[in-house]
This record gives sequence, C-alpha cells and structure tokens, in this order.
Amino acid sequence: MLLESKGLTKYFGGLAAVSHFDIYVKQGEAVGLIGPNGAGKTTVFNLITGLFPPTRGTVLFDGKDITGKKPHLVAKLGIGRAFQLAPLFADFTVLENVVASFHLRPRSSLWDAFLNTATYRRNEEYILQRSMEILQLVGLHEVKNNLAKNLPHGYQKMLGMARALAIGPKLLLLDEPIGGMSQDEIKLTRTAIEKMCKQGVSILLVEHNMQIMDLCDRVVVMNFGKKIAEGSLSEVRENEEVVQAYFGGKHAA
Amino acid sequence: METAVNAVIGALVLSSMYILVALGFALLLSVVGVLNFAHGAIYMVGGYICYQFSVEFGLNQWLSLLLSVIIMGAFGLFLEKFCFRPFFGDMYGTIVMSIAIILVLETTVNLLVGVHIRSLPAFVPGILRAGAISLSAERLLTFIIGALLLLALTWFIRKARIGQQMLAVAQDVEGAALQGIEIHRISAIACAMGCSLAAVAGSLMGAIFELSPFMGDYMLVKAIQLVILGGIGSIGGVLAGGLIVGSLDAVLPLFASGALTQAIGLGIIIVLLLLRPQGLFGREVT
Amino acid sequence: MTEKQGQGKLPRIVIYTGLLAIVLSLPLFIQSRYLIHIFNLTLINIIAASSLRLIAVSGQLSLGHAGFMSIGAYTAGALAKHLGWTPWVTMPLGALATMAVAVIIGYPFARLRAIYFSMVSLFFGIGILAVNQVLEKFTGGYAGLIGISPLFSGSKVANYYFFVGLTVLSLCVLYRIEVCRIGTTLKAVAQSHVVASSVGINEAGYRVLALAVGCFFAGLAGAGYAHYNSVLSHSAFNLLASVNLLVYVLVGGVGSFAGPVIGTAVLIIIPELFRMLKGFVPFIFAAIMILVIFVMPQGLAGLPGQIGSWVEGLRQRKGTAHAP
Repeated sequence: MLLESKGLTKYFGGLAAVSHFDIYVKQGEAVGLIGPNGAGKTTVFNLITGLFPPTRGTVLFDGKDITGKKPHLVAKLGIGRAFQLAPLFADFTVLENVVASFHLRPRSSLWDAFLNTATYRRNEEYILQRSMEILQLVGLHEVKNNLAKNLPHGYQKMLGMARALAIGPKLLLLDEPIGGMSQDEIKLTRTAIEKMCKQGVSILLVEHNMQIMDLCDRVVVMNFGKKIAEGSLSEVRENEEVVQAYFGGKHAA
Repeated sequence: METAVNAVIGALVLSSMYILVALGFALLLSVVGVLNFAHGAIYMVGGYICYQFSVEFGLNQWLSLLLSVIIMGAFGLFLEKFCFRPFFGDMYGTIVMSIAIILVLETTVNLLVGVHIRSLPAFVPGILRAGAISLSAERLLTFIIGALLLLALTWFIRKARIGQQMLAVAQDVEGAALQGIEIHRISAIACAMGCSLAAVAGSLMGAIFELSPFMGDYMLVKAIQLVILGGIGSIGGVLAGGLIVGSLDAVLPLFASGALTQAIGLGIIIVLLLLRPQGLFGREVT
Repeated sequence: MTEKQGQGKLPRIVIYTGLLAIVLSLPLFIQSRYLIHIFNLTLINIIAASSLRLIAVSGQLSLGHAGFMSIGAYTAGALAKHLGWTPWVTMPLGALATMAVAVIIGYPFARLRAIYFSMVSLFFGIGILAVNQVLEKFTGGYAGLIGISPLFSGSKVANYYFFVGLTVLSLCVLYRIEVCRIGTTLKAVAQSHVVASSVGINEAGYRVLALAVGCFFAGLAGAGYAHYNSVLSHSAFNLLASVNLLVYVLVGGVGSFAGPVIGTAVLIIIPELFRMLKGFVPFIFAAIMILVIFVMPQGLAGLPGQIGSWVEGLRQRKGTAHAP
C-alpha cells in the first residue's frame, strides 16, 4: 500500500468538507477520484499534502504517518502535486519552472551552490538534461523558452504536471489535469500520463471529464465529503447512488 | 479612582484622534486597495490650510475647516488622476509616487512656513471639569467628530451605492469592472474623500497640538498601526485597532517612561499581528 | 537586424573591470575631501540597498532596513567604545549580531504575507530605536554614541579604498547568491509559495535565509558607518533612512542586481551636486523619483535596455519607410 487514508475528516467551522474518508493507492496503480463539484475532492488532496491538518483521521504514505506534515516535507517523501488552477512561477520561463522544481533530487547543499563546486555543476547539468526530458514527455519542449504566464491555460496545466514530475515522485496527485483543455492538449496530457504510469509512477487523479478515466485501474466516488462508491469504472457507473449524485435531484453548480 | 477614570477618558480621546486621522487612510487601503503613504502629508497640509484661512486671513475657523476640506478634496481628485492612476496595479510605482508626494508637500510647507511654531486656536475653547476629572472641550469635540465620521463612513460603505461599489472594487477589480463599475471614477471619489477626511483630522489636531511640516510622519505610522492591526478590508477594524493603539499609548506611559512605552507598545502590536497575521478583522490573505 | 547580431556585446568582465578602474582612480582626480566623503556614504548605502534588494527578491519588502543597520552600528560602536575592541573585530560582530536578530524574528515574521510583513518591518525599524534608547547605558540612546575608534583616522581616502573593497566583496557575495540555485529558489518562493512547497522547497526557511543574509550586510554597512563616522545618532537609522533605502532600490530598479547600486549612487550624488539649493534639494530628489517612475518602468537599471529597444524601434520604422 503506497498511500492510505483512514477516517479522514475535516471540519471548516461547523461544516464537514470531508467525512470519514478512506482511500488507498497501491504501488503502480492509477486511481480516479470523482464526484460532483463541491464534493470535497480538492480538500482531500489538501489534507494529504498538508496544506492544512485534518480534524480527524490519518494519512499513511510508504509506511510512514504523514498526517498533517507540512507540504514541503510531504513532497520530500515522494508525493507530487499538480494543482487545479495551475499556479506557476509566472515570471520564469517554462524551462526555468521545471529546473527550479529540481530542488529535492539531486540535492546540492547551500554551500555547494554558493561556491559553485564540482558537485553543484554536475547536479545542475543533470537537472537541465532531466528537465528537457520531462518537457519532452509532457509535450512542452517547443515552448520551453516562453514565459510561463504567457502560456495558454492548458499548457499551464501541463507545466504543473512537469513541475510535479521534477521531484521524482512515487505518487502523483493530479487535480483536474484536463479541465479546460482543448482536444489536442487532452491528447498530449493523456499520452504523458500513460508514459508516467509505464515509468512506475502511481497516480491519484481527480477529474470531471470522463475522457481520461479509462486510464484508471479503479475509481472512488465522493459526494458531500463522503465516499459513496468504489470499484472499476463500469461498476461505479451502474451504482444507484452515483447516478443520483450526478444526474438525480439538484445539480451542484 | 480618578486616575482610572482619567486614564479611560484619555484612552478614548486618544483612540478617537487616531481613528479620525486613520479614516481616510483606511478608506483608501481597505476599500480601494491603495497604500497612500502620502496620507500623513495631506493631513498636515489640511491643517495648515485651515490655519492660513482662519489665522492669517481672519475667516471664521469652521469656515476655514470647510475650505480646507474642499481644497484637499479637490487635491485628492488631482492626486488620483495624475499620480495614482498611471500606476494602477504597479505597487512599486505607487510607493515611490506617494513618497515623492510626501517630499514635495513637506518641503514646500517647510520652505513657506519654516521654523515658526504655529498652532490653531481651539474650535471650542474651555475645559470641562467634574471633581478631579477634567477634559478639554476641544478634545471632546474631536472625540465626537471622530465617532460621527466613523459611523458615517461605516454607513456609507454598507448602505450608499457608491460605498458598495467601492467595496466591490476592493474585493475584485476585474469583476467590478465587468459589472460596469467605473473603476477610475470610484477611485477618484475615494481619494477625494480620503483627503477630505485627512483635512478634517489635520485641522482639528492642529488645534490640539502644534502644527509642523513633519507632523504627518508620526500620524502616518499611527494610522498604519491602526489599519494593519484592525485588519485591511474592515472599517470596523479601524475602530478596534484605534481602541487598542489608543489605549496602549494612553495607559502605558502611566507605568513606564518614554522609549520603554514605545518599545513595549510596538512589541505588543507586533506580537498581536504575529498571532493573527491578517489583523483582527482582516480578510484572510492566502 | 543582421548587423546587430554581428555586433557582440562587450564582455561583461571588461565593463566591470573598467568601472572598477575608474572607481579606484577617482581619488587621483578629485581633490575635494567632501566629495570623497559623499562617495564613502554612497558605498555604505550601496551595501545596505543591495542587501535590501536580496530580501525583496524573496518576496518580502522590508521597511525597517535602517533599523537593522542600527543593530550592527551600535553593536560595533558600543564594543569599540566600552571595551576598546578593534574595528576588525567589532564590524564582523556587528554584522553577526544583526543576522542573529534577523534569524530570531525571521521565523515568526515569515508567516506574514506581503503588505503585513512590510508594515511589521516598519514597526520593527521604529521599535528597535526605542529599544536602543532603553539600552542607553550602552548605546547612548537619543543623545547618541560618540568616540568610536575610527578605521583610518584623518584619511578620507584610506576609508574610501576600504569601503570600495568592502562594497566589491559584499556585491560579489550577494551576486553569487542571486545567480546560483539559492537565488532561483528565492525567486520561486516569491512567485508562488504554494508551488514552491509542492516541490519540496521550505519556503518559510528560505525567506528567513534571505532576511538573515540581507540583514548581515545591513549590519556590516552599519558597523562600517559607525567606525567611519565615529559618532552614531538615531537620525541615521530612523524611518526616513529606511524609506530612503527602499527608494534607492525601487528607483534603481528592483528587478536588476545593478538597480540598487545605480539608484543609490544617483539619488545620493546628484542631490549633493545641487546642494547650493539648500532647502530645495528634496525637490531634486522627488524630481528624479517622479521622472524615473513615469519614464523608466524598470528603473534606472533598465535604461540601457529601454534605450536599446527604442533605438531598435526607430531602426525598424526607418526600415519600413524605405520598403517598397
């Protein structure tokens, strides 16, 4: 078990955004997390990566308890994240964004960097080379010298993925990776995710758009902060509660 | 017992003075999102204009106050159009611009007025007494006007259409523009109001303390303390911030001397901000 | 277009060596000891302004930098005056003391975002002078500290060469930090702390690092000033002084390493040249500020670039005018 959450609960004021949520991801799996808007999916991601601590419950990763650990420590342990709204290092170029994200591996000490030691220079060369590889994988190598803030939104999302890959993650959390993308961009992203899976990265994916859900081995469905179904995509589609959540009653905005 | 009552009165009066000075600054920062460092200098000029009309030209002092308000209001429109609007969205440009304005205003007044100590006569002379408790009528007037203006501004933000529009601009400039709100017109009105409020404060304070070309510097820092502590985005925060800072400044000197009170007072404010980084009633800043 | 590509840029090292040669040879041409004194003050302020910029690069705009300078200044001054220690010991100690204070307050201050950090640093700068007065037994308080052993007594020129050396050393250190991965990481933290922490960057820690290094050099500049001036008073480290440093950085151009250097030099030396105007000198200062923000959005340091693109624009227009 690579990632496991038990009884994850988060209250904001009196409102439970996430309630007794259990999810697991095995090594090498791609798991999808779906649910209507406001179901709490991004909150689950925030709880896993430590943006804020859960009110109750635990998160275990690779055998360690990471509940409430700070985001940079969670990243250090091997969880990468691509955000929904695609925040970036706006004034850096695409390439600089990825290069800057190679903070963890290989690690140059502050002195190495300041004194420009041989270790540092070797690391930086390796980082540059790896950055190019990642941009190739994600499909952004053509625009590597463009300023990140000038990219179209879809490309910015792909850059978010490239950045998350830079830390050499064991688990990648993708928050709506194809939201707002054109068909071409979706194709590129889909290919990239497939390549990542082949390279052994485990994936936990939040998405509305069903176009990439078939990449997942398993799907978890959330509504009102709770898990309401789990299984393969076809199993889950038949589930009555899931149908209710998406199509029955009031549509969540 | 009397010292306690005097201390409370002192705290309330000082708080109201700080709030009076800070209102214009808070309006621009909380509501329109402009950090106007020149606020202190404008406050100073407002006081001097009132002095000029009442003492030098011999007009009625209240009329002079009104004239100062009008002139500084017009100056506010000028400021917005030629000094702030070109740097809308450019934080560094706005900062440098407002510091340049301070330099120009303070140097001009300093060259014109120089070292002579000036002070406005009280708007309302006399001292009220009740036993060992005393309060100058002027300070009471300042307290009343400060309180009234605070209430008026709060009402304005909540109920008046223009006030609501200002709030919309503060929270989301693009959204407000999409709704058809003329950003620059709103900013101009806010700037004019801010400068007018500063003029009232300068005139009233000029009657309590001496006028000096650099009196705005101290008050600017106080205004910043109030608004930051109370929280950006809340006029109610100005009241809270004002009461805290005013009380500290009125009460601490009873227990410690000079610099120690300043150090402790600032220390308390800093600690409060570290405990609650967005200020008491401020919007949560991500 | 092709002609321009053929012209190489003068290699940077040639430009800097040339500048250094000019700076080093200035005392040979300039007889006025007063002007050398102004240059000394400029050099001290260049160290302070450049270190302020490093802190700004990490996304924290400090309005209390002169307050930090005062820590270095009064530490060095008090050690020299009361214990008789040599400047070569008191100056590094002053810098280290300032850095220590920065580290202590840095972690709590790092929680404050943007404008709140700026305002708290403003309060800190004022407060540190109040604390200075409370410690007046050691610091002399409002009355000031006098009788600090000078670095090279009687010779403004010797001091000049010392400060040139100190400034070049400081700028080299600050430049190296900015250009290597440390600087990249600081800029990343400034742009998005959320993204930075998602790639494993301890963003609070890096902001403290920037504050610590920046304040080290502020303290160094302050300590140097203490031994240069032999007299310390609060007026050198008050809010006005902090604001001046900020203006030097912003007018020079916060986006460029040379910005604070150029901004400080221009904003100290040019008003000095007009000192016969006496009370009107602040107008010169304000005029420079207003001119720069209206005409040069990237500050004085961006001027070569701006002239370059302006010339390029002219060239292109001329080209199209001749097109058939």
